[in-house]
Amino acid sequence: MRYVTLIGEREYVIEIVDEKHIIVDGMPYQVDFDAISDQPVFSLLVDGNSYESYVYPSEEGWQVLLHGTLYQAVVEDERERRLRAALGSRVADREEFHLRAPMPGLVVSIPVNEGEQVEKGDVLLILESMKMQNELKSPRPGTVSRVRVKTGDSVELRQTLLSVV
Amino acid sequence: MFNKVLIANRGEIAVRIIRACRELGMQSVAVFSEADRLALHVRYADEAYLLGPAPSRESYLRGDKIIELALKCSAGAIHPGYGFLAERADFAQACLDAGLAFIGPKPSAIAAMGDKAVARSTVTRAGVPIVPGTEGEGSLRDDELLAVAPQIGFPLLVKASAGGGGKGMREVHSIEEMPALLHAARREAEASFGDGNVYLEKLLEGARHIEIQILADNHGNVIHLGERECSLQRRHQKLLEEAPSPFIGDDEEMRQRMGEVALRAAQAVNYANAGTIEFLVDKDKNFYFLEMNTRLQVEHPVTEMVTGVDIVKEQIRIARGRQMRYTQQDISLKGWAIECRINAEDPYNNFLPSTGRISHILLATGPGVRVDTGVYPGFEISPYYDSLISKLIVWGETRAEAILRMRRSLEEYKIVGVHSNIPFHQTLMDSHRFMGGQYDTRFVEERFSMEAAEEGKVDRSPIAAIIATLAAHQQAQLAAQFIQRGERDTSNWKWLSRWERLHR
Repeated sequence: MRYVTLIGEREYVIEIVDEKHIIVDGMPYQVDFDAISDQPVFSLLVDGNSYESYVYPSEEGWQVLLHGTLYQAVVEDERERRLRAALGSRVADREEFHLRAPMPGLVVSIPVNEGEQVEKGDVLLILESMKMQNELKSPRPGTVSRVRVKTGDSVELRQTLLSVV
Repeated sequence: MFNKVLIANRGEIAVRIIRACRELGMQSVAVFSEADRLALHVRYADEAYLLGPAPSRESYLRGDKIIELALKCSAGAIHPGYGFLAERADFAQACLDAGLAFIGPKPSAIAAMGDKAVARSTVTRAGVPIVPGTEGEGSLRDDELLAVAPQIGFPLLVKASAGGGGKGMREVHSIEEMPALLHAARREAEASFGDGNVYLEKLLEGARHIEIQILADNHGNVIHLGERECSLQRRHQKLLEEAPSPFIGDDEEMRQRMGEVALRAAQAVNYANAGTIEFLVDKDKNFYFLEMNTRLQVEHPVTEMVTGVDIVKEQIRIARGRQMRYTQQDISLKGWAIECRINAEDPYNNFLPSTGRISHILLATGPGVRVDTGVYPGFEISPYYDSLISKLIVWGETRAEAILRMRRSLEEYKIVGVHSNIPFHQTLMDSHRFMGGQYDTRFVEERFSMEAAEEGKVDRSPIAAIIATLAAHQQAQLAAQFIQRGERDTSNWKWLSRWERLHR
């Protein structure tokens, strides 16, 4: 199976030959990859070098936490890649974004109104939890729609708070 | 004298205090909320009693219920830890009224230091320098503030009387721009706290937050245990502390001078037990009294590591009416200690707190490492209390060794199930400014970034790409297997015979 993996601007073509052998940009490597006791911690041996890392699936792809640095990776197999080329853009950019509560808490304020234009990084809602006020920001530009909560509401984990279309 | 101590707290500090009780051969009593039935402090204590529902005001802040429980189980003393009831003079008084020893200062000392205005005037009378400003002078009108501003000197800060967290705060560099900034600060303070009162404070540029740990017994002995450097903060929350301070370094004269001033501040309120005097120190090594914390501090372990004094055991000894085991001559600082506060928060997502079940922990251990924690695998991090998971403390013979040891420990320490700020500390350990000890209280918020790649930092993108790809591949394989299994729900023999019949 052949994958194209993107980290930042850099693309890696990684072919998985079998369980122990991979080819990265044309260079063969011997690998040993296994989860440790409990995902998401993985151990990787590459030609004898040992690495340990946390791997989390994220909305955009995979987050790899390695030696205190977080790498954002997008992994696509060849079929997905062709599909995306045909569609033209990444699906995530066109879909609605539903802001869900990352933890239970109290809505302290909602600095945006329905119908308002927001930019990526704008604060959509301030949620108080664990004695801290937390700013929840928009991951992309768009228009605020369907604000489902109001200031002073207690919200549950993963409750949808508002949407950006 | 008492032989059983009730700990009116939870989390790592409750565990820390129980450990001290154990070593002193005393019985320990835990109290807990419904959310903490399986917390470590409940498991470690000799006795444990339910206080009430999860929210603090119905459990850990129920002073009346805590005292009632202490009397019922005949505990002779209450240790408040930090936070919750630790700095409530009325609670300390209620303990004494019930005939219980309060492991902390006298209620009068808590009250005197708890009110900022009273504290400032008390220590000023004792000859302790304070940051020039109008705090504690009541609510002044704009024209009064404008008149007093030149005496304080520019630059200065306008701060909200009711405030905190930088709300209603403005930096003023000249008298001309002051009226507009006063107006803006008042408006913001009014919106945030419903109180538009503000005060002025001299802005110390490049200020550091350095504090002195003191111990006092009831026999007139008062000593200090040197300083802690606490300048690394985010939104006024300390993140990392070290002892000694790299800013004071081997300036023994300054250390002794700060120590003596701290003792004077403590004696001004007849202080007993453990306490901390916080100072702001400017770049010219002038120091000003900020406030006194009349309790055990979160960061007390770094002082324990460099002095060898067990502060909690000493607190209990003092509360039992004994003399301290140390005189000032016995105290010297050996080596260097650093503490990283490990919080359940995601440094890659604006330090958003993270809740959930901890599924796996691999502790950092080995030479010179200490971990104070209240969690274990299987424990649920709830949204009711603060996000401190543990404190990772290392000791080294020199600061350089301590930093290298902390780096090594942070890499070893694995917490799975919730996000932690370990990567933040790892990035900090790699920062050249931190290594050089060149930071002030604004460093984390203004000059630090998780993304900024320091020079010489190894880029491991190719390895990360391999890991991500193998993880994605593994997941795809698993998904495929799952579907295949579903297709063949009958036994292979049946399937084979059907297939043969089909092709007959």
